[in-house]
Amino acid sequence: MSIKDELWDAIVFAERDKVDRIVQSAVDNAEDVAELLNETMIPALREVGDQFSAGEVFVPEMLASAKAMRHAIDIIGPMLSQSGHKPIAKVCIGSVKGDLHDIGKNLVAIMLKGSGFDVDDLGVNCSVEDYEAAVQRGAEVVCLSALLTTTRDAMRPVADQFSDRDEVKVVVGGAVITQEFADAIGADGFGIDAADAIRAVRECLGLAAVPA
Amino acid sequence: MPMTSRERVLTTINHEEPDRVPIVIGVSNATGIKMKPYRGIKRSIGVDAPDDYIYDWPELGTALIDEATMRRLHSDVRGVLDLEPATVRKRNSQREPHSDYIDSWGSGQTEIGPDDWYPAVHPLPDATSVADLDAYEGWPDMSDPTRVAHVREAARRLAEENEYAILATPWLLFPFERAHAMQGMDVFLLNMIDHPDFARALLEKIAGYCKQLMGRFLDELGDNVDIIKIGDDLGTQKSLMISPRMYRSFLKPIHADFISFIKERTSAKVFFHSDGDVAPLIDDFIEIGVDILNPIQTNAGTMSDLPVLKKRFGDNIVFCGAIDTDQVLPLGSVEDVRQEVRRVMQILGPGGGCMIGAVHTVMNDVPPENILAMVDAVEEFGRYPLQ
Repeated sequence: MSIKDELWDAIVFAERDKVDRIVQSAVDNAEDVAELLNETMIPALREVGDQFSAGEVFVPEMLASAKAMRHAIDIIGPMLSQSGHKPIAKVCIGSVKGDLHDIGKNLVAIMLKGSGFDVDDLGVNCSVEDYEAAVQRGAEVVCLSALLTTTRDAMRPVADQFSDRDEVKVVVGGAVITQEFADAIGADGFGIDAADAIRAVRECLGLAAVPA
Repeated sequence: MPMTSRERVLTTINHEEPDRVPIVIGVSNATGIKMKPYRGIKRSIGVDAPDDYIYDWPELGTALIDEATMRRLHSDVRGVLDLEPATVRKRNSQREPHSDYIDSWGSGQTEIGPDDWYPAVHPLPDATSVADLDAYEGWPDMSDPTRVAHVREAARRLAEENEYAILATPWLLFPFERAHAMQGMDVFLLNMIDHPDFARALLEKIAGYCKQLMGRFLDELGDNVDIIKIGDDLGTQKSLMISPRMYRSFLKPIHADFISFIKERTSAKVFFHSDGDVAPLIDDFIEIGVDILNPIQTNAGTMSDLPVLKKRFGDNIVFCGAIDTDQVLPLGSVEDVRQEVRRVMQILGPGGGCMIGAVHTVMNDVPPENILAMVDAVEEFGRYPLQ
């Protein structure tokens, strides 16, 4: 089995020590970590996302793979920057005002990061001003998360805030969010789960879907 | 001949058709109503009653429904609850305004906004070993008599009235959810993978405390109880939170043991609450002795397929809930609510085994007229033989 296959498996099966070891060794040997990220790590995490969407793996497995990915990205991060690897775009993400749920939001954040975006994670209970500040820091996409029927309406003022700025896209998601709701508040995109959120972000930036 | 509410409930949970489909509302947190819609209902029906909270716990936000309103809601059940120890209630009532509410396990809630509290305080986020559990000094004292001192009299009074079915719910004796409260949900779910022996030990430790309190609670209830409510949220909007394999390995033995413990001490039926799509586990629930499944979250995955649920499981489990709190109750019109209640009863009602209620706690976004429409639709369309 090649190192790339081993790394792919180690991310899919969330073997963090193995992921760390392989990635650290790539850094130590000055290998092309951008290639490792794009051709192995991102597809591996996408595979986990697809398995999650299909009901083949569940929340603990998804969290474990995401944690493995986060470790790996931390290890290769400095080398990526040095090599001039440019993120696809800067995006911000946060759970909306009144909502402290963050598991889904964190999963989407790591998937975005792993998919090559520069992610400004605003945390939970975010105000319109928090998102505006992130846009001022350069975010082109504003990702909103809400778990509750009672907090989803907090998405509306954020969508309104950016409605007259074509250069800022708003993508929404969370357990109670539907395409109809996203349309009703004028969001540019809707992700039904973590993997789908990446598609929605890419799509609203006019980027092609990632080939399967 | 019309039945009493109690007869109605007992008939349907024995899988026979009563005079009408029973209504379960206002007897616990999951079957309860938040304070704002409760105030709205009181206003619209002209009832003057205090704004009290269940479990004497304002931060939970769920109203203690007065008797006149319970009657107007046609609720066929009445609740008996436990309480946190008097010392814990006193400490919380005297704490700094807006500071965290901390319960008898050391977990608690943080204020997000006015009347809005979120379970964000977790005392064991870094625990990964049995030694960490042993070192924790905040485990609850389940022998505190003030937890259950009122239970015997409350249940005796309801039994003497013999009007309503008695549904008793000690607060959150749910091992999986309690583990989330102790560690944070994402931390505990990861520990199930990273430190499975620890995760099992935590669940078993929690289950031990749950049994201690449940034993005392049941002793106080005696024969004056028809339904005991337990549960654990296992489902998500689309599927299960953990795999069926993981459920069967980590939690099913704990739930099975807890249910056996209950059934050794009472003939009351076991009511199991789990949000989300738990259809893949219903056979497991039946196997371990669950009699009533709640809340039948009809907007979650395969739980939407009510005809299949009724056909596959209807002979062996009672369905309770099923009126959607995501779209229909908060956003639907009175007519939408009426038709949804009618639809659900037509599918789940034949042969008994069906009780109607809101899928989750009726939240602050639900208009009072929709709650009244829900219960009135049961009166209108829920008479047997169902039309």
